Amino acid sequence: MLEVSGLCAGYGRLPVLRDVSFSAAEGEILLIAGENGAGKTTLLQTIGGLIKPTAGSIRFEGRDVTGATPEDLVPRGLRLVLDGHRVFPELSVFDNIRLGAVASKTGKVAFDTAVDQIFEVFPILKQKANDKARSLSGGQQQMLTLSQAFVSQPKVLLCDEPSLGLAMALMPPIMNFLRSWAKSGTAVVIVEQHVQLALAVAARGLLMQRGSVVFDGTADEFAAETGIIAAPH
Amino acid sequence: MTSKISTGEHMIAARPSTARTGPSILDRSAKIQVVIGIAILVVATVVPSALGLSYWIGVINLATIYIVASVFMGLLLVDAGQVSFGHGAVFGAAAYAVGVACGMHGFSFPVGILFGVAAALVIGILFALPALRVQWFYLGFVTLSAAMVFPQMLFAFDSLTNGLNGISIPFTALNTPTAIGLSILSILSLVLGSLAILTSAIFPKTKLGRRMRVAAASPEAAQSLGISPGRMRFTAFMIASFGTGLAGVLYPPTVGFVSPNAFHLDISILFFFAVIVGGKGQPLGTIAGITLLYMLPNVFLAQLVEYRPLVYGLVAFLVMLLMPSGIIGGIVRWLTLRQKPQAMPALQFSQIVDATQSAKHPVGDIAIEIEGLRKVFGNVVAINNVSMNVRRGEIHGLVGANGSGKTSLLNVLNGFTNSDAGSVKVNGKEITSLKARDVAHLGVGRTFQTPRILEQLGAWDNVQIGLDAKLSPNPTRVSPAFVDSLRDTLGRLRTESIPHGQRRLLEVIRVILTDADILLLDEPAAGLSPEERVAFAGLLRDLRDKLGLTIVFVEHDLDLVARVADRVTVLESGAVIASGDVASVWENPRVKPLFVTVRHA
Amino acid sequence: MWQEYAIILIRGIGLGSVYALIAMSFNIVKVSSGILNFAQGNMFVLGGMLAYAAVALFGQPSFIVWLLLIPVAAIIIAVVLLIQGYLTLLPLSYSDDQQSWLITTMAVSIIIGAVLLLVQGPNALMVRSIFPNVPLFGMRVPAPFLLAIGLAVFWYVVLQWFLSKTLTGLAISALWQDPVAGRAAGLKVRRLQLLAFGLSGLIIGSTGFVAAPIITIASDSAVAYVLNGFVALVIGGVASNTGALIAGPLVGVAAMLATFKIGGEFQGLVSMLILVGILLIRPEGIFGSTAARRV
Repeated sequence: MLEVSGLCAGYGRLPVLRDVSFSAAEGEILLIAGENGAGKTTLLQTIGGLIKPTAGSIRFEGRDVTGATPEDLVPRGLRLVLDGHRVFPELSVFDNIRLGAVASKTGKVAFDTAVDQIFEVFPILKQKANDKARSLSGGQQQMLTLSQAFVSQPKVLLCDEPSLGLAMALMPPIMNFLRSWAKSGTAVVIVEQHVQLALAVAARGLLMQRGSVVFDGTADEFAAETGIIAAPH
Repeated sequence: MTSKISTGEHMIAARPSTARTGPSILDRSAKIQVVIGIAILVVATVVPSALGLSYWIGVINLATIYIVASVFMGLLLVDAGQVSFGHGAVFGAAAYAVGVACGMHGFSFPVGILFGVAAALVIGILFALPALRVQWFYLGFVTLSAAMVFPQMLFAFDSLTNGLNGISIPFTALNTPTAIGLSILSILSLVLGSLAILTSAIFPKTKLGRRMRVAAASPEAAQSLGISPGRMRFTAFMIASFGTGLAGVLYPPTVGFVSPNAFHLDISILFFFAVIVGGKGQPLGTIAGITLLYMLPNVFLAQLVEYRPLVYGLVAFLVMLLMPSGIIGGIVRWLTLRQKPQAMPALQFSQIVDATQSAKHPVGDIAIEIEGLRKVFGNVVAINNVSMNVRRGEIHGLVGANGSGKTSLLNVLNGFTNSDAGSVKVNGKEITSLKARDVAHLGVGRTFQTPRILEQLGAWDNVQIGLDAKLSPNPTRVSPAFVDSLRDTLGRLRTESIPHGQRRLLEVIRVILTDADILLLDEPAAGLSPEERVAFAGLLRDLRDKLGLTIVFVEHDLDLVARVADRVTVLESGAVIASGDVASVWENPRVKPLFVTVRHA
Repeated sequence: MWQEYAIILIRGIGLGSVYALIAMSFNIVKVSSGILNFAQGNMFVLGGMLAYAAVALFGQPSFIVWLLLIPVAAIIIAVVLLIQGYLTLLPLSYSDDQQSWLITTMAVSIIIGAVLLLVQGPNALMVRSIFPNVPLFGMRVPAPFLLAIGLAVFWYVVLQWFLSKTLTGLAISALWQDPVAGRAAGLKVRRLQLLAFGLSGLIIGSTGFVAAPIITIASDSAVAYVLNGFVALVIGGVASNTGALIAGPLVGVAAMLATFKIGGEFQGLVSMLILVGILLIRPEGIFGSTAARRV
């Protein structure tokens, strides 16, 4: 579904990613972990089209999309969710969800079905559908940003640190949502510092250090390598 | 939880700093620009006088005066972050005061100078008052309308100002060449111009300059460092008006005449454009700006009178299109682009505090005492009858779901928000009615959920503002070797290139440097990897054990809380549901839901 | 006596509707790109000039022709604004310095003013309304005052519908709340911002054309309109068209009162005092939610 090979990128002339290669298959959750400043966010933003790579290639559904912008990528089904639960604060919750469908041209029927699914998983969003998004708590905003991405029905979802700034107790519903989303055939790539939480749902794990991938393996191998045990099942 | 992930060897090492030369005040680019700038002013002033070109003497003097006014406009815009489109009114008021005093009432020029500067300061105060409430382009429009109204008022009160006719004053003595060939007026303009260029380079490097920038970039960060943003803005307007006033008083002797038409909105716009088109924050910027925007259309293309405004508008437009950072800014960028940028090395937590120090802290066992605290926003009760205390020298964790009131509580503790009821005593002193900056002066420091590492300041400046805010003259409690190596590293970095996770830690270091003995940290470990969390926990323990600090921290990572906190308070819907040592609180059934359970697939 | 006040009231509301329209045309650009277009006043004056040009070309137009000419004028100004918008947004895409628009929009304003001065000279152009004065409360009100009120209501309704009911409008109104999140969501950010510039051109072009007989069409009259439009914007609350629709007439009436009671030369002072007063008392405006204060 998604193949990244030899990817290099950075801010200005400052290199951040060095020769990153990995792939993500449909229906699986891939965890990217690593220290602060290891380049995880840069990697997601480069794949998502916000940063232009300086070398290497990104292939999506077998086609080369290196250097494509989100304007091109989102309609094709590759969607990045930024960290920090960023919503459009002055719009209503429902309008935030509607905006998710602008770029993907999701049809009316598909949109309605998607919204029904969202409201089933996150009933609080239905309850607050007409409230301004800024009145939501951080966790609810994270649910909202994911919902906004969900209605665009991406084939690849890139999700940057969904737990950032959230109470940990809020994470299970969000992780479970991602898990069932992946089961529907979407490749989900998440960057997460709370590795325990993410390993519980991830199929594979990737460890980055100073801009390079230093480990790539199954969730169990990852756990063995790093000594981190997945959250209790 | 153990970890086998190597933490990497690429870290800031504590190098001995004996070989360090004293920090230079100005960086290389600023030094070169000041030298070139003053050289240009000297040559431009001396050459026409030596050749006896009286037209050019006048042109250069006027251009120099405009440069001075633009420099102070730049100080307001770049250092204090205040948009003023009405600086021409300050300039005009000074010029008119001289005109009225000397031309209509026969005072001598030195007395006129006093009147002029006083008039400039009065307009400055008028601008500063709304600036206490509003900012950015709102303030821009207030000053813009003032600039439009100013000449109208000169007409309206024509009995005082001679109205449309203006005031003619020859000032021959000032314009007569002295023994060295320059007139007194030329000497005054040259000295003032050179001082202004020097000021524009040095001011940002002063403590006041840094504090002004912090206040402009983040009023919250400023208040938490004990700075009053309002006072900073007021000071900025006073400095800018004083400098512009000095320039304005030289206008009547240079031109020999003041009339309302000279102080239309156009002159305000000229000063504003000169700063940005020349290059914000560049010492040479205003010289480039005035040369392009004033000299080019009015002097070099003087034959094409009717095309002046067109040329002026086009030049400004094209420069911004091609060089958005202005002429000098663009050149400096282009030159620095060729230097290899540096990456920020990881910070070594264990080196931050290297020695145990006997702390001279306020006495008393209780650092913070909260009694019946309540805060309501609209119809939401953010803090509901909270009573708790924080013992001196303990690490106190604040946990709870999002929206449970943790940050609201921190905001009351450091004086950002005033509570509706209840009392908060810090070191025994009631703080509920104090402002944030006064609470900061009591020794309370804090960090923010979104780190306030400000791109308007240099990388090292962002840490140095902590030192600036130091509460006592004692040597800093952070390892001097660490501070030195940090200064070395950050001195070579651009603020934008500091990774987000590191910003949080720099902010923590900044607040330690202020000598605060109570630290309020808002999610300090967010975004840290598991092994960085272990190291961070070590830092918090060092701060408690070696320096005797009291730490209150909001954190979602309950493992981290359990690892380092002495006591913990759990909030739910703004109320305390449990408080005490970690073990007993964790057993509380009401706290259990905070813990994670991931169902198996 | 009461008739004098009725005149002030009706003319003030009419002129104020023009300020409201200027504020609305500010708003749509502001919400999509954070830019406050200083050249909007000149675009307004250009719209007025088109009305003058129409008379010069076709003689006094009939009602039908006049009605048809409104969209033509609106589209011409929209094209001018599209070009301006394109150039203004250009440096913002490759520079981290995001304030160049302050200069470029002011510079465009200066350039247009300079060109008008070259072409037209310093005198104001007079446009005669095709409609007779309307008898109202026993006096005769020039029709454009009433037409301006109608136009303000028209554009208000159109904008409210567009910005809340259509997905494109929704996207435009959301963009500046978080441009990066907008990009990540796949919104065509630049294109939407240009669309907003174009729309602001339709509003301001039609306003200039319709209000031509009651405004000052001169090379140096733009700043006063920008300023009064801005005062309406601030009183109503930035980003609120409802606020603009109500605040515009308030400003208009105050300006008329000042002109009638203290004299024209103090009109600028009165506008300024209103602006300062509002900013000191309620910086977020009547309907605004985002405060002007940053502390």
